[in-house]
Amino acid sequence: MKQKGSKIFVYSCIAPALLLFAVFMIYPTISVFRMSLYEWGGLSARRTFVGLKNFKVLLDDRFFLRSFQNTVLIITLVTIITLSIAIIFAYILIRERIKGENFFRVVFYIPNILSIAVIAAVFSAIYAPDQGLINGLGRLLNPDTWVNIQFLGNPRLVVYSVIGAMVWQAIGYYMVMYMASMGSIPTHLYEAAQIEGANRVRQFVDITLPLIWETVRTTLVFFIISSINISFLLVNVLTGGGPNGASEVFLSYLYRQAYNNASYGYGMAIGVVVFLFSFALAGLVSLVTKRDVVQY
Amino acid sequence: MLRKSLSICLLGLLLFAVIGSAVQAQTLKIAGLDGGWGREHWDELARRFEAANPGVTVELTLAQNIADILRPQIIARNYPDIIYLAVGSAGGLTDTLIKEQAILDITDVLDMEVPGEGVKVRDKIVPGFTDTLITNPYGDGKTYLAPLFYSPCGLFYNADLFGPGKYQLPETWDEFFELGNQAQQDGIALFTYPTTGYFDAFFYALLTQLGGPELFNRAMNYDVAAWGSPEATRAFEIIGEIAKYTHPNTVAQANVANFTKNQQLILDNQALFIPNGTWLPNEMKDAPRADGFEWGFMALPKQSKDGDSYSYTFFEQMYIPKGARQVDLAKKFIAFMYTDEAAQVIYEKAGAVQPILGASELMADDDPNKLFYTIYDDGAKASMGAFAAAPPVAGVDLASILFGTIDSVVNGDVTVEQWQKDVVNAVAKIRAAIDAQ
Repeated sequence: MKQKGSKIFVYSCIAPALLLFAVFMIYPTISVFRMSLYEWGGLSARRTFVGLKNFKVLLDDRFFLRSFQNTVLIITLVTIITLSIAIIFAYILIRERIKGENFFRVVFYIPNILSIAVIAAVFSAIYAPDQGLINGLGRLLNPDTWVNIQFLGNPRLVVYSVIGAMVWQAIGYYMVMYMASMGSIPTHLYEAAQIEGANRVRQFVDITLPLIWETVRTTLVFFIISSINISFLLVNVLTGGGPNGASEVFLSYLYRQAYNNASYGYGMAIGVVVFLFSFALAGLVSLVTKRDVVQY
Repeated sequence: MLRKSLSICLLGLLLFAVIGSAVQAQTLKIAGLDGGWGREHWDELARRFEAANPGVTVELTLAQNIADILRPQIIARNYPDIIYLAVGSAGGLTDTLIKEQAILDITDVLDMEVPGEGVKVRDKIVPGFTDTLITNPYGDGKTYLAPLFYSPCGLFYNADLFGPGKYQLPETWDEFFELGNQAQQDGIALFTYPTTGYFDAFFYALLTQLGGPELFNRAMNYDVAAWGSPEATRAFEIIGEIAKYTHPNTVAQANVANFTKNQQLILDNQALFIPNGTWLPNEMKDAPRADGFEWGFMALPKQSKDGDSYSYTFFEQMYIPKGARQVDLAKKFIAFMYTDEAAQVIYEKAGAVQPILGASELMADDDPNKLFYTIYDDGAKASMGAFAAAPPVAGVDLASILFGTIDSVVNGDVTVEQWQKDVVNAVAKIRAAIDAQ
């Protein structure tokens, strides 16, 4: 009897959260799938059921394919670069006991609390052709022969420019996560390794990495989700998808089709692809990185 | 007995509620863009409209991202009575409402009397403004959007660089490119543009100039042959030629975050011409500039010395969405917008000019704005309109194909032929969607 009562209590505690989750997460997700089957402008009641037509169009849409390529490139490079730098910095700050550890921790974390609009403004200034930081530096060192690098104007460079800003933005956040994980590794493991004659690289590979592996796996999923989201925000403010769509990513293309091109149903079809893609990718990454959990 | 008296009581209450709501003050909800003109004139107009119509309250919602604010409200069927947001604005709200046929026919407003002036709205608006594909998007002779705040578009330059002993203003395209070569030797680029979006006015005027209003109208109605015509080809080629004379920093700065840097190139004498509208001097009023800088403004160069010159007239619009509650009051407000009183307020508070007869008389002779609005007195013809309403075609965003590609033409990644071909293909797809309806 007592157990039954506590069950009711547990369920009634979970219910509000479950209800909110259903209303604000599950229902909208299902709606995206449903709306992708319609031809609809998004504002009026005039909508026609078209089955899978939107998905067929999607396969032939070279602008969508380009946004797909850009997104995959961004996810891959941002993850590899940010992950490596964040782990190395975290290791240095935790293990090497360098002066001003807290200062660096704060400095690296600051970009993460800035809004995307501010980050875009900062990088507009860094990438600008005449007064920009990088071009200005180049001209200072090479006054006669320097030709402006058009970071945001060259379609072959612009995605890398976006990646640069994203890496800068993300490093601090992941570094702090890895530091927290590394901080809990008992120091006696390192001391023992040192006595055995292991150098720092060996210690990192054999002690640090296996012991923070679960954190790394979790952050890999974060990388996929946040790369898709943040690239949209940044592209919208920094380049507007330009020049001529060269920096368009998944969500910015979705947005432009759903709103500017009044093809809401088509936009939702893109949303379905993004959903399935990120879900599958996260699952795949999680599967590939599965190892026996090492504990201390 | 008790039942009877209860029902009488209830009926009385109901009546009271109905009458009460009838005499209740009416509220007119206006939502619109808080853009380059500011919001002072709207506040003043609302105040004056309230004073002229006792019992009416005007509720203004003005924001820079008004499309993002209105979208969820419209989906929730919570419509404002009037929306002020031009066709082609960011967010595509107005364009979507047109495509979804969710805007009310306001042709009868044209036959209403301008409050207190004894003249019909139709006769007060400058001829031509209510015959365009912008105000009558379905080409059925009915007006759905009311024209507001017009502004000639053309090329802006530093007038100080031109004159005796300096550069000569080009009359024809040949002279234009000749000037480009000359300026290049002085280290100045001939051309720059804020973003490719600004090519709409440029391209429309160019097309009208080369093929006449008839070709322009065919092109705006998705006539595939018009887009492949020799005149259209020439228009693409001219822009392809201009691309070669475009300042090298332009493309990198042709985005929302940096477009003012391209406008700054004119102020710094790094580029000679920029396509824009009359809001430009106001937009750049606080920017540093070269010594002696003075804004100059001209229509596009002509095909030949005796050819026609065109300047595209940009104007904004207001409209009543279907589902608005206070339709009659909204129509009354639209009529009020064309009074001399409203035009005066709009000019004094915002510097914007209403498309009504006699509006240019509001400008003092020493008003620098006057120069811009006299472009049509100097022989340029007005070109107006935009693409007709068409069903949306998934994946085919004509504006980005027609104008966005210019960035790639300037970069040399796309040839002029390819660009035209892409446009013709896109137009053909939209044409097919129209015919299938």
